[in-house]
Amino acid sequence: MRFLSHLLVMFAVALTVGFGLSWFALSDGRLFGAYRVGPWAAWPAAGAPAPDPYTRAHIARSGALQLGQSEGLEFTATTDSDGRPLDRACTYRLEGSTPLASFWTLVALADDGSNIARPDGELSLHSARLARNDDGLATIYVGRTLRPMNWLEITGSGPFQLVLTLYDTAAFGGVGSGDDTLPAIAREACR
Amino acid sequence: MMRALLWIFAGALLGGVIHILMILGLPSFASQDTWSRVMALDALDKAVVLPAPKPGEPNPLRLDPDLAYAVCRIDLSSGPGVVSGTLPDAFWSLAVFNRAGAVIYSTTNRDGIGQNLDMGIFNPAQTRLLAQQKLDITEGLLIVESPQNDVFAVVRLAPPHPAMKARYEEALADLECGNIKE
Repeated sequence: MRFLSHLLVMFAVALTVGFGLSWFALSDGRLFGAYRVGPWAAWPAAGAPAPDPYTRAHIARSGALQLGQSEGLEFTATTDSDGRPLDRACTYRLEGSTPLASFWTLVALADDGSNIARPDGELSLHSARLARNDDGLATIYVGRTLRPMNWLEITGSGPFQLVLTLYDTAAFGGVGSGDDTLPAIAREACR
Repeated sequence: MMRALLWIFAGALLGGVIHILMILGLPSFASQDTWSRVMALDALDKAVVLPAPKPGEPNPLRLDPDLAYAVCRIDLSSGPGVVSGTLPDAFWSLAVFNRAGAVIYSTTNRDGIGQNLDMGIFNPAQTRLLAQQKLDITEGLLIVESPQNDVFAVVRLAPPHPAMKARYEEALADLECGNIKE
């Protein structure tokens, strides 16, 4: 009887560790394979000809048309800079410089990957079509309530993620200027 | 007590094995991977422009709403592949995927320099013929070697403004794609 209970405990631990660890490693790659800058995470090997096993599993799981290594890099954020999950009830302010790239786009997605921007509005923010401050940087607001400067209007409720895609970038390849920073995500009012 | 800890340790070890097996086995078990989604597009030997993602609807290929996409699948067993055409004066990029969904080759036109796309995809045997000059190709052809026969190419085109997207998608649909004809 004692042996049986021990065996059950062992299998429970094995299944929890095995599947939990796999889910954890692939959900945003915090264990292996991913590149993290503040709240942003990217899979730099996703566009490589021979990706490592974790990136390969990630590619198979997402089933997306990922960018090749020389085309660009896609960053995803599911939390703000303080680590709190992104919530559509709140307004977020994105501030800071982006690495050198031909252009970049910012979209807000639900967990299933569907775009949550206002249907008859702009679905994304494009770096060439932003209102810029005097210092050349742009302040971006993401949320449901009207904001000045650049406002990405989202709809619905629940968690969401922000995807920042840099096209034709030398960033994070080790050959750039070294100024590889991404905008900070600050939470403002929630309602 | 000691014995219980030993059992838990054994469980953790077994969990590690399950984890490694899962990570290594996932690519072969995934049924909704990139290749199966591209197969469903019916894009063999022709450039298919992907519909733009709509708000609130699933976007399995995770397309960027700002870009126009063309996908074209080529089977190299019936001859070397070619993707060619003239694209508008804007940023475009090109990626060649294999069956596993990995990008075996990618390039960009560096922010709007160069409007002509002319790429040939060759499998190892065809590359050998190419080296022996037994294949006739046009000068200036971008040569990509693919270890496998099943490949697809994705061309991304970035219109400077959303209003130009329809015209840019027409240009993508006009891309020539398929096997090099004798």
